[in-house]
Amino acid sequence: MDTLVDIFGYLTVVLNGINLVAMTMAFGSVLFLTCLALPLAPQLKLSADAVAEAGARYARWGGIATVIATLSSLTLNALVLSGTLEMPVLQVAGAFFIEAGIVQVLAAIAIVVVARGHMTRPRVAVLTALALVMLVASLATSHAAARPGERVWMLLATFSHILGAGLWLGGLPAFLSSLGQAQSRDEGAAIGQRYSLMSITGVILIVLGAIGISIGFIGGLQGFYGTAYGAMAVTKGVMLGILLLLGLGNFRTIRRFAAGQGESLTRVRRFVEVEIAFAIAILLAAGSITSQPPASDLTDDRATWAEVVERMTPVIPPRLESPSHDSLAIPALQEKLDKEWRDQQASNRPQAFVPGAGELPPRNADDIAWSEYNHHWAGLVVLLVGLFALLERAGVRWAKHWPLLFLILAGFLFLRSDPETWPMGNVGFWDSFRDPEVVQHRTFVVLIVAFTVFEWGVRTGRWKNQALALVFPVLTTVGGDLLLTHNHAISNIKEQLLIELSHLFLAVLGVAAGAARWMQIRGSGRDARWAGWIWPTCFVLVGLLLLAYREA
Amino acid sequence: MSTVRPPVSRPTRRPFLFLGLAALAGAALAPLLVPAAAQAHAIVIDSNPKVNDTLGVGGNVLKVHFNSRIDRARSKLTVIAADKTEVPVTLSESPDDETLVGQVTLPFTGSYKLRWQVLAVDGHTTRGDIPFTVTQP
Repeated sequence: MDTLVDIFGYLTVVLNGINLVAMTMAFGSVLFLTCLALPLAPQLKLSADAVAEAGARYARWGGIATVIATLSSLTLNALVLSGTLEMPVLQVAGAFFIEAGIVQVLAAIAIVVVARGHMTRPRVAVLTALALVMLVASLATSHAAARPGERVWMLLATFSHILGAGLWLGGLPAFLSSLGQAQSRDEGAAIGQRYSLMSITGVILIVLGAIGISIGFIGGLQGFYGTAYGAMAVTKGVMLGILLLLGLGNFRTIRRFAAGQGESLTRVRRFVEVEIAFAIAILLAAGSITSQPPASDLTDDRATWAEVVERMTPVIPPRLESPSHDSLAIPALQEKLDKEWRDQQASNRPQAFVPGAGELPPRNADDIAWSEYNHHWAGLVVLLVGLFALLERAGVRWAKHWPLLFLILAGFLFLRSDPETWPMGNVGFWDSFRDPEVVQHRTFVVLIVAFTVFEWGVRTGRWKNQALALVFPVLTTVGGDLLLTHNHAISNIKEQLLIELSHLFLAVLGVAAGAARWMQIRGSGRDARWAGWIWPTCFVLVGLLLLAYREA
Repeated sequence: MSTVRPPVSRPTRRPFLFLGLAALAGAALAPLLVPAAAQAHAIVIDSNPKVNDTLGVGGNVLKVHFNSRIDRARSKLTVIAADKTEVPVTLSESPDDETLVGQVTLPFTGSYKLRWQVLAVDGHTTRGDIPFTVTQP
C-alpha cells in the first residue's frame, strides 16, 4: 500500500491521459459513424460496408481501452482514499467520482457490445446516445464540475472542447482506415471532403472551448507562463497549431485529389498517421492538465517573466567538467538557495500535496551543479547526433553510424543520473528501484539502448524490415509523450515550474522528431525529403536546449 | 433504412501490431516513472487558523476553505501535536460545499499542525498541513 501511495500522483496523471485518449477514440469513432459512414453510405457503393466497419472497430477498441483505463483509475483512487482515510472501500465507493466513473464504464461496455454487426441507423443512434452519456460522465469529473458557484459556462466550454476533440482527433484512426478502403477516386474524395468538414467543426468547437477555459481557469497573461496549468495549456496550443498545419495540408491535398490534379490518397494517409501522433500527445497533455489546480486559483508564488527569461538564458560555457565543491560558484549558489528556502519557510502560504508526496527538501548547490553537468553532457551528445544525422541527410556516408553516439549517452545516464546507487553509490541495484526517479532514469536508458540497436541496424542495412525502422519514431514519440505526462507541484512551487518549462519544449520537439522520421520512412517524394531534414533539426534543437539547461 | 454490412476481409496489419506492442511497452513502463513532486486539485484558499497563527488552549473552531467543491463525507481534519499525538477533531456543519469545519479542544500550549485531506468532487485527493501555535488565552 505504501508503494502505491508513493506513486499515486504519477499513476493518476498517466491513467488520466490514457483514459482521455481511449475515450476520445471511442466517441470520435462513433461520431465518425454518425457524421460520415451513415450519411455517405449511398455514395460509397463499393466501400460503404468497410468504412462503417472501420468506425465500429475503433469504437469497440476505444470502448475496451476506456473500460480498462477507467476501472484502473477508479480502483487506484478508491484504494488510496480508503487507505489514507482509514475508511472501508465500500464506503469510499459511494463517492460521486466513482459513480460517474461507473456510468462511463457501463456506457463504454455498451458501445463495445452495440458496435458489432450491421451498422443500421437505429444502431448508430444508440451508439451516439451512449457516446454522449460517456462524454457527460467524464464532464462530471472535470475541473468545471468541481467549481464552486456558477459553473454552467465552464461546463459548456469544457463540453465544447471535449466534443471538438472527439469530432476531429477521435475519428482519425477510423478515417485513416477508411481511406485505405476507398474503391474509387470519387469514394476517396467523398470520404476526405466529409472528414474535412468534421475536422473544421471540431477545430471551431475546440477553439471556442479553449477560449472559455482560458478566461475561466487561466485569467491573465501571467497565468500562461507563471503557472504549470498555463504552461501546459500553451504547450497544448503549440501542438494544436502543428496539427492545424497538418490538417490544412490534408485539406488542400484532398481538394486537389477530388479535382483530379494528381494528388494521391496515400499522401493524405501519411499525414493522418502523423496527426494521430500529435493527437495522442495533446490528449496526454490534457490528461496532465486535469490533475492540476487552475491557474486562476494560484495567485501566489507565480514565476515572473524576468525569472522565466533568466532561467531560459544558457549557462556559458556549459558545465562539462565534474563540479567541485571547492569552486567559488558552489558556496555562492548555496547561499542564494538557502535564502530562497528561508523565505519559503517564512511564507504564510499553505502547501498542498497528493497522498504520497510531501514538501520538497531544501535545494542543494552541489546537486544542481551535478544535474546541470549531466544535462549538458547529454545535450552535447544529442547535438552531435543531430549534426551527424544532418550530414548523413546531406550525403556524407560515414555519418550513418550516428546511432552509436547514443550508447555514450546511455552509459553516461546509467552511471551519472543517480550517483548514490550501484555502481557508483551504496544503494544496491534492486533496492534503487524503490525510488521512482531512479526507475524513470533506468527506463530511459533501456529505451535509448533499444533505439540505438534498432536504428543502427536499419542505417547499416542489417535490417530491411520497415517495421523495425519505425521503432525509432515510435520510441522518440513515446519519449516526448512521457515528458508531457509528468506531474506537477500542486501549490505551484515556482522552482519546479521553471525546470518544467524547458521539459515542455523538449517534449514537443520529441514528438515532432518522431513524427517527422515516421513521415520520412512512410512518406514519399517531397514530403519524405523535407521530413528527413526536420527530425535531425529537432535533435539539434533538443541538444541546444539541454546544453542551455539550468536549475538555478 | 440504410444498412451497411461488415467487410468480407480485412487488410493485414502485422507491422502496426508490432509497433503497437512497442508503444504499449512504453506506455506500460510509464506508470513506473515518477518525478519528484505531486499534483492534484483542491488547494486552500483561506483557513482558521492560518499558517503560523496562534490559538488559545481549550475549545476552538477550525475552518479550511478550498478552491473547489469537496466531498465532506470523504474528507477529514486532524490536529497533530509536536509529540505526534493526535487531537480528535469533530467535523460539523459547513456553510458551503467548499469548506470543512471542525471542533477541537486543544489541551496544552505548544506547536501543532492542522492536517487536512479532502476529496474534491472531480475525484482528486489532496492533503496538506497548516502549522500553528497554541498559547494560554
